Amino acid sequence: MHIQELILRLQRFWADRGCLIGQPYDLEKGAGTMNPLTFFGALGSKPWNVAYVEPSRRPADGRYGENPFRVYKHLQFQVILKPSPAKVQDLYIESLEALGIDLSKHDLRFEEDNWESPSLGAWGVGWQVVLDGMEISQFTYFQQVGGLDCRPVSAELTYGIERICMFLGGYDNIFDLIHGEVTTDDGVFPITYGQMRQREEFELSAYSFEHADLDLHRTLFESFEKEGWRLLKDHGHFLSAYEQALKMSHTFNVLDARGAVSTTERPGIIKRVRDLACACARAYLEFENGKTPTAGNAEIAEKSTVAGKGGAK
Amino acid sequence: MSGAKTFLLELHCEEIPARFLKPLTDEFAMAFSAWAAGQGLVTSGLEIFFSPRKLAWRGAGLPASQPDQTDTQVGPPQRMCVGEDGQPTIQGLKFAEKWGVEFGAVRFEQPAGKKEPCAVVTITKQGRPTADLLAEALPGLIAGLHVPKAMRWGNSEFEFVRPIRNILCLLGDQVVPITVDGVAATSTTWGHRLYHRQHPEPVKIASPEVYEAALEAAGVVAGLEGRRTRIAQQLDQLAAEAGGRVVADAELLDTLAEIVEFPKIVRGEFPADFLELPKEVLVTSLREHQKSFCIEGPDGALLPFFLTAANRTDDPAGFVKAGNEWVLKARLYDARFFFAEDRKHPLSDRLEKLKALTFQRELGSYHDKTGRVVALTKALARRLSTDDEHIDRALEAARMAKCDLRTLMVGEFPELQGVMGGEYLKHEGAHEEVWKAVKEHYRPVGAEDAIPGTPMGCLLSLCDKLDTVAGCFAVGLIPSGSKDPLALRRAGQGLVRILWEQGWPLTLADLVEAALKVVAPKATKPEADTREALLTFFKDRVAYQLELAKYVGSVRRSTMAVGWMDLVDLKLRCENLSLFSEDPRFAILGQSAKRIGNILKDEAPLNDFKAALLVEPAEIDLIQHLHRVETQHDIIVTLNNLAELADPLEAFFNAVMVKCEDPALRATRLSLLHRLRQAFLRVADFSLWQ
Repeated sequence: MHIQELILRLQRFWADRGCLIGQPYDLEKGAGTMNPLTFFGALGSKPWNVAYVEPSRRPADGRYGENPFRVYKHLQFQVILKPSPAKVQDLYIESLEALGIDLSKHDLRFEEDNWESPSLGAWGVGWQVVLDGMEISQFTYFQQVGGLDCRPVSAELTYGIERICMFLGGYDNIFDLIHGEVTTDDGVFPITYGQMRQREEFELSAYSFEHADLDLHRTLFESFEKEGWRLLKDHGHFLSAYEQALKMSHTFNVLDARGAVSTTERPGIIKRVRDLACACARAYLEFENGKTPTAGNAEIAEKSTVAGKGGAK
Repeated sequence: MSGAKTFLLELHCEEIPARFLKPLTDEFAMAFSAWAAGQGLVTSGLEIFFSPRKLAWRGAGLPASQPDQTDTQVGPPQRMCVGEDGQPTIQGLKFAEKWGVEFGAVRFEQPAGKKEPCAVVTITKQGRPTADLLAEALPGLIAGLHVPKAMRWGNSEFEFVRPIRNILCLLGDQVVPITVDGVAATSTTWGHRLYHRQHPEPVKIASPEVYEAALEAAGVVAGLEGRRTRIAQQLDQLAAEAGGRVVADAELLDTLAEIVEFPKIVRGEFPADFLELPKEVLVTSLREHQKSFCIEGPDGALLPFFLTAANRTDDPAGFVKAGNEWVLKARLYDARFFFAEDRKHPLSDRLEKLKALTFQRELGSYHDKTGRVVALTKALARRLSTDDEHIDRALEAARMAKCDLRTLMVGEFPELQGVMGGEYLKHEGAHEEVWKAVKEHYRPVGAEDAIPGTPMGCLLSLCDKLDTVAGCFAVGLIPSGSKDPLALRRAGQGLVRILWEQGWPLTLADLVEAALKVVAPKATKPEADTREALLTFFKDRVAYQLELAKYVGSVRRSTMAVGWMDLVDLKLRCENLSLFSEDPRFAILGQSAKRIGNILKDEAPLNDFKAALLVEPAEIDLIQHLHRVETQHDIIVTLNNLAELADPLEAFFNAVMVKCEDPALRATRLSLLHRLRQAFLRVADFSLWQ
């Protein structure tokens, strides 16, 4: 299956089940969870279902476009369901069937894998979903985000798009995947993932391992931090402040990929990102609670529970 | 018992982490038994079932209701309850009313402890139906389970290991009406996900007895043991078909049995050129990444196959096999990449890089640790060997021991530490003694594991562990109670075992002194304190080693008391004394030794023995026996002589008053006892025999 077909099917599937279709957030980030649609969406009591693609950058995973399995940037398809539905596992399994995976012929397992993001002050419990021995998704019940308990609890489903495509097509090299087809007056031209991304992988890997100006990044980290706290403290602006936390996180990842952060420094730096992110989360909740009377929230929450509990299959 | 019923409870959840299945089912079974006993409900304990989505318990022989409980209540004296006219008094009527009976039911008896007859009633409290008791108690028992990593889900505040989606709860064929977090109990449950693709309805469980059969028909083997047996059979069969046998791994077998509801073992293949990787790398990679077993041929070399478990009964389209092969190939590419990259530079290149790898904050880097281990090896190797080349090789092994911590392979598979260093040195053409020593120097990894197979490996392991333990003690990191985050006890135990099994002429005091010297520059605690703490620590380890060696308590106590630091000597005494551990004469000897101890307790050591002063036949007889013990050096003859001393010594105590009036005779007798005690202590402190 082409990458774009997989994305389109997942979007259609989740839209049909009452999810908003969101868009990637235009800042570098290490995981789809960092998108404000998830970070803020998982907080508070209002019902919230959203699905979106998120490019995720992990500078340390860069391999100059030479490794058939590992890349600097990959695509995650992220789904947030709040509150987590009673039949969330069944819904997830149906989504795989929508991708054409006939589960009567495959081995599907949910194996314990708990998730934690120290820089977001977030953690949850759940599974890695394993199809015929291959990890294809991460499935998490958020317990805390931004240092705050999640009430209600959201379910987060993360699909590794390239992985699933490779697995379904039996590809041994990520760059051989077909993104989609371009049709012109001259004919049909399949475009590979490599055509679209291999040079990018090379340059971004080279940047993070060789060319990034470390002094600049250290300065940037400090500046983003200062800027974030100024926005939050002087203006009460948690969204623009949160953007600064995201920039700090990515800047840290660039420094880390270069081995420029010692093991002793590490926890301290992560804590600085977390402190800002957690402060943004608290400010967001205060804002939301001030805007909507608490009683109103409870009423909305009540309406959302009519689905009730059902038997699992 | 007529009307006895069987109880069944099943919590059907989303996939529960394998590591919690047994602890949770065990804990509930214990809590349930305790509760049932408190209610007067006798059970023979609960049968336990679990699978990835199920925690279940079954108990047979529950009565339909609690037994009736009778209770006797004593009231005021008869004279106050019955008037002179024979009619009940107001007080008498009140007593009957208080216990809800007619006055006619009140008896007058003289209960024990009372001086006169009193009003007595017998109240029968009717036992409540078991179903009601269960319905009241079960939600609390379930909610009270201790879940280490509890979670919430949906809108609820309820916490459990994973969301509960169905509750099956029966007493006989009746549903026990409980509700947990909004889920009400039923007489149905869910089978395997695949089964319900064709059968949308839940599975009806008509009675607790048919539980396993009904589930099996729905694609779930409810018991762990059943799954494990099936897996083991299939593994053996598929390995044999491939011309080999399974590389055994009991832990992996347990894991597979815990993560599937219906096990099907799938055999896949991988490209044979991956067999150039060391066996340990393949076995570890397959186990850690893919929960797969390897197959080895008759010569112990691996075959290009793997075995893993699928959670279904078949592989109709071959997708399961193909998928696992695909993933495994990707993993092995990684492993081969690491193996090739690591060998681009000699292992010794990593020595400098160890400076950037912290061993422990106060004890410095692994480079620092390597320096200390080399120094220890130098100090101890000289005492074990005079061959300079041999000693140089031991030092080379010590220098290389930690280098593999900076290789890619160990970064990926930390459990291959040591093994990879050994493998890389072998590829570089290092001396066999050196690479084997490095390869095995983490052993024994646990109580089940063997010590290194070569003397040099043993020495390196001993020095490494000695540095770890002594270093941590010197900076105040001493295990206490259940707190031993650095696993120092395990390291110390491994060290003692090596010394015990090798029989080297090194005492624990020697080792502690050598270690104190090398850790001194990093020490933050006074050396005298560290020495004392280390000796106490090692004494405990030696005591445990004697337990592991299966010596009985009398032998362990009495031998340890006269010296535990020289393990060669201790082992000799233990082995020989064990031959006498059932000998009744030693029990007598033990009594006498205790007596000697008491008599000498307040006496300064005397050496004022004058044989000519002895008068009683019993003491003259005793001194001859003592001579025999004192002049004998062979331990087994000595023990025989000691055994023969038991009766004369008892006779001596019966016939002779040690602390007599005559001061010279008294001094001689005390000296005699002192000599006796010295003779005993050459082997053991028999006063601790009992």
